[in-house]
Amino acid sequence: MGARSPEPSAADDAVLESVVRFGRALRDVGLAASVDRELTFCRALAEVDVRCREQVGAAARASFVSDPGELTAFEVVFARFWEGASLSLEAVAEHGETDPRMPGPQHGGESLPQFRRELTASRMLGAGETRASREIPSRPGEELGRGERRGVLAAWSPVEVETDRERLALAREEVAAVRRLAEELRAAAPQRSSRRLKPSRGGGRLDLRRTLRNSLATDGEAMRPVYATPSRRPRRLLFLCDVSGSMERYSRALLASLQASVAAGIRAEAFVFATRLTRVTGPLAGHDVAGALERARGLVADWSGGTRIGAALADFNARYACLGLARGAVVIVVSDGWDRGDPAVLERELERLRRQCRRLAWLNPRPGELRGQPLATGMRVALRHVDDFVPGHDPRAAGDLARLIRGLGAGRPRRRQRAVASEAR
Amino acid sequence: MRAFESIEELGQALADQRYLVDDELATVVFLALRLRKPLLVEGEPGVGKTELAKALAAASEAPLLRLQCYEGIDVAHALYDWDYPRQLLHLRAGGSSPLYSEQFLLRRPLLEALSHRGCVLLIDELDRADDEFEAFLLEFLSDFQVTIPEVGTVGGGEPPAVIVTSNRTRELHDALKRRCMYHWIEHPDLAREVAIAQARLPEVPLPLVRQVCAFVQELRWLDLHRVPGVGETLDWTRSLAELGGGEVEPDTAGRTLGSLLKGRDDLERVRGGELASLVERARERGREVA
Repeated sequence: MGARSPEPSAADDAVLESVVRFGRALRDVGLAASVDRELTFCRALAEVDVRCREQVGAAARASFVSDPGELTAFEVVFARFWEGASLSLEAVAEHGETDPRMPGPQHGGESLPQFRRELTASRMLGAGETRASREIPSRPGEELGRGERRGVLAAWSPVEVETDRERLALAREEVAAVRRLAEELRAAAPQRSSRRLKPSRGGGRLDLRRTLRNSLATDGEAMRPVYATPSRRPRRLLFLCDVSGSMERYSRALLASLQASVAAGIRAEAFVFATRLTRVTGPLAGHDVAGALERARGLVADWSGGTRIGAALADFNARYACLGLARGAVVIVVSDGWDRGDPAVLERELERLRRQCRRLAWLNPRPGELRGQPLATGMRVALRHVDDFVPGHDPRAAGDLARLIRGLGAGRPRRRQRAVASEAR
Repeated sequence: MRAFESIEELGQALADQRYLVDDELATVVFLALRLRKPLLVEGEPGVGKTELAKALAAASEAPLLRLQCYEGIDVAHALYDWDYPRQLLHLRAGGSSPLYSEQFLLRRPLLEALSHRGCVLLIDELDRADDEFEAFLLEFLSDFQVTIPEVGTVGGGEPPAVIVTSNRTRELHDALKRRCMYHWIEHPDLAREVAIAQARLPEVPLPLVRQVCAFVQELRWLDLHRVPGVGETLDWTRSLAELGGGEVEPDTAGRTLGSLLKGRDDLERVRGGELASLVERARERGREVA
C-alpha cells in the first residue's frame, strides 16, 4: 500500500471522539478493538453514507469484528453507539450485561461472581499485592474461609485442594509442574510427516534449487546432488474433557494438564464439556498458567453440571470435526462415562468421531477403588468404540500423561473392518 | 481495473455477473476496495466465498489470480521460483547471461498479482496453509511489495484487490486479521436464495426453484451433520430440472437427494419418514413466496 491517506476529512472532532469511545466500549466487552482498527473504521466512515445505519454498521463490523462469535457483543455496543447513548462503563454495566472488572464477553444469568475475582490467579502465582487483593478488601489469606465454598467453587478453590485426600502440590510448585508437563509433552508428542521438505543426506527427491546453487562453485557442473525429504511435524492432539459434577475432583488438574498441552506448542486442541461443549484452546494458550486457567474457567458455563457426553460429542462433530479438526488427529476423551444422555447418541457420535481421527483413546480417571463395580453406562457403550481404553488414570499424576501419549503413539490401531452403524441397531 | 463510485454500482455490477450480494456485503467489498485492504471472508462451506472473488474479478474487468493454499505451501509455490531445468540447459549450452535474472524467473500468483496493474487476488482457504506461510503473507498483505534479492523490488504500484477465504479449520493469527476487513457470510434466507438460484439458473422454471429453495431452507432447520449450502442447492435444482417435472416430488426428491446431502446418516435421516412432510411444507412455502 502506498502512503497512508491523511485523516479523513469527514471525520471531524465529534466523529473521531465517538469512534474512540466506541472502540473503548468494544474493548470493554472483549473485542480486540485496537487503534489501527479504529483508524480503519474512521477511513471507512469517510467512504460510506454516515446517515445510513446499515452502511455504518457494515463498516464497523468489517473493521472491528474478526470472529462470528463476537457478533452478539458487537451488536449490543453498536446499537448504543448508533443511538448516541453514553458508552461509558457504568452505562453498559447498568445494562446488566457486563461486569467492568472482567475482560471478555459475559452472558447474563450465568454469572459466577466468585470466579470473577482474580483471587485464584494471584494465589497460584504466590503474588502479594495484586489488583485483585486491592479490589477485595480482605487479604487473600483471610479470604479463604472454610466451609463457604461448596459445589461449583469447591472443584476449583485452593481450600478444596488442602482438604483433598490426594493433595496437590502448593500453588507455586503446581505452576512449575504444569511447565514441566509441557516440556515432557513436547518430547512425547506424536508426529506425522509433513508436505514441507527438508534437506537430507541422500534419499528423497532431488532438490534442484540447492543443487544448482552448489553447482555455481563448479562452473555450472552439478557435481553434488542435494536431496530433500518430507519433514516431521507434530500430529494434532485433541482433548475432549468431561468437567461435569462427577468429575469434579479431577477437573482442576485436568484443566491444568490441558493448559500444559496447549502451551507446549504441539498443535494440541482442548475442549471441555458437561452438558455442552466449550472450546478452550484459545483461552488456555500463553505462558501465564494461572491467568490462562482463570480465563478458560470463566468461559465454561456448565462447569460441574450434568453430563451428556453423547450430545457434547455430537456438538463437536457438527461444529468442529466437519472442519477437519479431527482428521488424522489423536483424540483423547477424558471422562468417567457417567452419562445422563441417550447411550444410542453416544454410540453414534463416537463412531462418527472414530471414522475421522487417527486414534481414539478414552481415559477414565476413576481410580481402582471402584474396580469390581459395574462400569457406568456411558463407559460400557464407549468401550466398544474406542481404540484404547486407559482406566484409573489420575490426571493429577501429571507426568503420566506424557508417558501415556508417547505410549499411544501416532500409529493407526488395528480396527475392526466392518460397518459399525448396522451393528448398532 | 474498473473503479466503483458507489455501493449500489458495485452491487449492480456483481449482480450482472449473477452474483447477488446483500447491502452489508456490498458495503464491505466497496470499503475493502476503497481502503485498499484485503478482505477476509469466512462462512460455512458452500455459501459462495470463492465465487465472490470470481464475480468481483469479472465485474471489475480485471484478471483473477488464484492461490489455493494447502499444507506445506511455501514461497517457491506462492511467490516465485527459478526455472532450474532452463538454467541448467542454459549453462550446458554455454550461455553467458546471468542465471538469476528475469529470464529465468517463474512468477507465481502473488508475484504475478504485484506485476499486474490492478487485478483480483484470491487467496483461497488460507487456514489450510501452515503458520509459517501465514507469517510470510502478513508482510505481503501490508506492503504489497516483495524483494527478490537477485532482481530487486517488485510492486509498489496499484495494489491488487485481495480476497482471503478461510473455512475456520484453525484460527488465523490476530495480526493477519487486523490487516484485513472481515465479513462472515451466512446462509441466505429464502427470498435471497430464490433470487440467487434464479439468477444462476435462468432456464429452470421459477415454481420449481421456489420449492427447491424452500425445501433446502427446511433442511437447514434440521439437526443435520452437514447443512447444504447454496452450491448444493444449485446442484439439486439442476438435477431435478434434468429429470423433468415442474415440482418437487417425494419420489424424485428421494432419488436425487445425494446432490444435496453428502453423508449416509443425513440421507437416511431425511429419507426415513420425514421426506414426504418436508416436500409438502416446501411446496406450501414455495407457493407462499410466489
